[in-house]
Amino acid sequence: MAMQKELMKSLAKKPVTLRYPFEKLTPPNGFRGKLEWDSEKCVGCGVCVRICPAFALEMVGKGLTAELRYYLSRCAFCAQCVESCPRDALKTTDQYELASYEHVIVEFKRK
Amino acid sequence: MSAEPKTAYEIPVGPQHPALKEPILLMFKVDGDTIVDVWPRIYTHRGIEKATESRNYIQNIYLCERVCGICSFIHTLIYSQGVEQLLGVEAPPRARYIRVIIAELERLHSHTLWVGVAAHELGFDTLFYYVWRDREVIMDLLELISGNRVNYAMNSVGGVRRDISPETADKIRKGMKIVKERMDVYADVLLKERTIRKRVVDVGKLSPHRAVDLCAAGPTLRMTGVKRDVRADDPYQAYDEIPFNVITYSTCDVLAQVLVRVGEVYESISIINYALDHMPSGPIRVKVPMAVPPNETVSRGEAPRGELFYYVKSNGTDKPERVKIRTPTHANIPAVCEMLIGYHIADIPIIFAGIDPCMSCTARCAFIDVDKNKKWIWNHEKLRRYGIKWYGKV
Amino acid sequence: MVWEGLAATIELLIFPGIIFILWLSLLYEWLDRKFYAKLQNRYGPLHTGAKGCCQPFADFVKLLSKEDITPMAVDRVLFTLTPILLLGLSLTALFYVPMVPILRNEAFAAFDGDLIYVIFLLTMIVVVKFLGAWASTNRFSAIGGMRLLFQLIGYEIPLAVALLTPALATGSLNISKIAQTVGSNIVLAIALLPVLAIAIICFQAELERVPFDIPEAEQEIVAGWLTEFSGRKLALIRLSFDVELVLASTLVAALFLGGPYSPAIPYIPVQVSYFLWFLFKATIVLLVLSNIRTLYARLRIDQMVHFAWKNLTIIGLLEIILVEALLAGGII
Repeated sequence: MAMQKELMKSLAKKPVTLRYPFEKLTPPNGFRGKLEWDSEKCVGCGVCVRICPAFALEMVGKGLTAELRYYLSRCAFCAQCVESCPRDALKTTDQYELASYEHVIVEFKRK
Repeated sequence: MSAEPKTAYEIPVGPQHPALKEPILLMFKVDGDTIVDVWPRIYTHRGIEKATESRNYIQNIYLCERVCGICSFIHTLIYSQGVEQLLGVEAPPRARYIRVIIAELERLHSHTLWVGVAAHELGFDTLFYYVWRDREVIMDLLELISGNRVNYAMNSVGGVRRDISPETADKIRKGMKIVKERMDVYADVLLKERTIRKRVVDVGKLSPHRAVDLCAAGPTLRMTGVKRDVRADDPYQAYDEIPFNVITYSTCDVLAQVLVRVGEVYESISIINYALDHMPSGPIRVKVPMAVPPNETVSRGEAPRGELFYYVKSNGTDKPERVKIRTPTHANIPAVCEMLIGYHIADIPIIFAGIDPCMSCTARCAFIDVDKNKKWIWNHEKLRRYGIKWYGKV
Repeated sequence: MVWEGLAATIELLIFPGIIFILWLSLLYEWLDRKFYAKLQNRYGPLHTGAKGCCQPFADFVKLLSKEDITPMAVDRVLFTLTPILLLGLSLTALFYVPMVPILRNEAFAAFDGDLIYVIFLLTMIVVVKFLGAWASTNRFSAIGGMRLLFQLIGYEIPLAVALLTPALATGSLNISKIAQTVGSNIVLAIALLPVLAIAIICFQAELERVPFDIPEAEQEIVAGWLTEFSGRKLALIRLSFDVELVLASTLVAALFLGGPYSPAIPYIPVQVSYFLWFLFKATIVLLVLSNIRTLYARLRIDQMVHFAWKNLTIIGLLEIILVEALLAGGII
């Protein structure tokens, strides 16, 4: 009968479950979600492509006109590319609801 | 293997079974309700050790992190420690303390996960839900520090990637107080609830002599009274500067495993509080070159399940020559097979869950036939053909 | 004559007959799951219908639509008969429990001695489960079936002792008459409290719920005796679990708490008052059964049989002595 006291306390409390998707938690600052690319800072050096452990980034073109192809289904959200970029052109957002039925490939384009 | 009993009945537990969280085949020979013999077959293989040979040292951190979800941080920690040993650098003091804090937070989350899973294996779903509800405190703290609830990606060769600010440190202290209060409640339930005591007392006994012989590791070894803990015997990171106790119990049954893990939860809480209070200031990482000179090293640490062992060999390039991982569950499988013999079928889930099995950490076995003096390893094609033949027979 | 026949048919089929019992069993499963969840600080069924009240029905319909696989090696007759017989036996037993005395002041098919018949039906339910498990020719079902019989050996004697003590105290073997006597005699109800506890524990074992869900232990033997049942058969078996839950709650409420026969509530017709008392008492018993389900871990089969024989039977026999003493002293 050791748990009875806890059970009685729960009768008075509101259930602790979050009724997703009607109630959502916002991730904390620094959460590693989907990537975001700032095209004005990128110089096309390719460090992010070489360092990614999941081979999720691919450079399209060369140099200052290069664009980025981001294989979202391969990404491991480790943020190593964010750390390695010498110009801080990549950032993580707090988007985590990324499930989909097909492989998603995000094409980051220059304006 | 013992002599054939008069009426031997074979029961396969696995590869897919509600008692197992991960696939392993345990073929039981039972006589009535008593287990006579156990034969394990570990067959899962993901090729991680081979994959490390084609990625550079930085990419391998994230690969080794994904060997196991529950003990992901200790894998990256021991790997980074190994590569740092190859390079001959040391992480700065603040990084060592941060690594200890995250490793102990991971031990907390792993042990509370285990308490819930053990309660579930006993049929006590209520305790399972309550413990996992309070485990969310630890998961939220880890998300706050590292950006993700699992696979924290905090380690880098040469230090850690993120710092712990004073506000975060305050939140950690508050969280530790809550976890300690809740753990008091659950330790009380685990010790006093009669139905739990009936299921775990004097169940799954293993003598200390056999435990050492069979190379058991972690709480499975400490529950027999043998005082072995890598953090105390061979201190790594900041463990030589932080005082803590190694918890052992001498009753050698599943109740001792429960008590060892609950004791380690309290020790982890005190280690985290001490580390937060005494954290030195300074840089959190040093810059290291990409290519590593030819060398080989062994790096080991105490994962939540036992001793984790990494062998890293470099050849001068930026990709390792060989990474060999020996995980604690792999060492505990012979011990659990001995612990199961002589008990009831109903004891199978709790004895097997007692060693805290993490099959994703276990490597595939090699076959050794002692009588015929043969040794062989199967590749994928042979394994597939054997599987088709076996299922065709049954 | 015709009107009586028509009224009896409506009473058999609709209220308080089969349709009402099935509706009540789905309602009780929902109530059980919600209370179990609330005690565990979570929601339980939430989205199907208002507060998830249609969830048991949705589960039933989903199982009906799944593929019904019959393995090659099973004994087809026994395998197909098991779900039908289980549902039939539990529904039959419910016709002897006084629920809502509308046309007559007793249960629908009451007769002198129907208490013994209901105890017999409770045992037959377990025997049918064992036959279904044996016919499944699966080693997990075989182990589950053996555990069923072991558990029956454990709880059957205390259950029979507990259920027959009110009969001893009131001098009748007719469940409806026992309910009437206990309902009007509060001293008798209090004297029967120990056997009420024993009956609730033994019914928890009969219904195979934690701490006695040993024959169906999910973690040890996959799904125990119902491993091989799928699709429509599994739907009927799950429905029969719910009907057994109603049987346990209403039988305990009738024998030990007086069933529908309690002082009438003023300002409403006496039948409605009977109905509300009956629902109230059966629901209280259900909530106690749900609470027991959250409190304990699962026992091992040998520990369960020891517990039943060493503790429950002794208390039951002592209670019989107490009741006889009270009867002789003229207190009840």
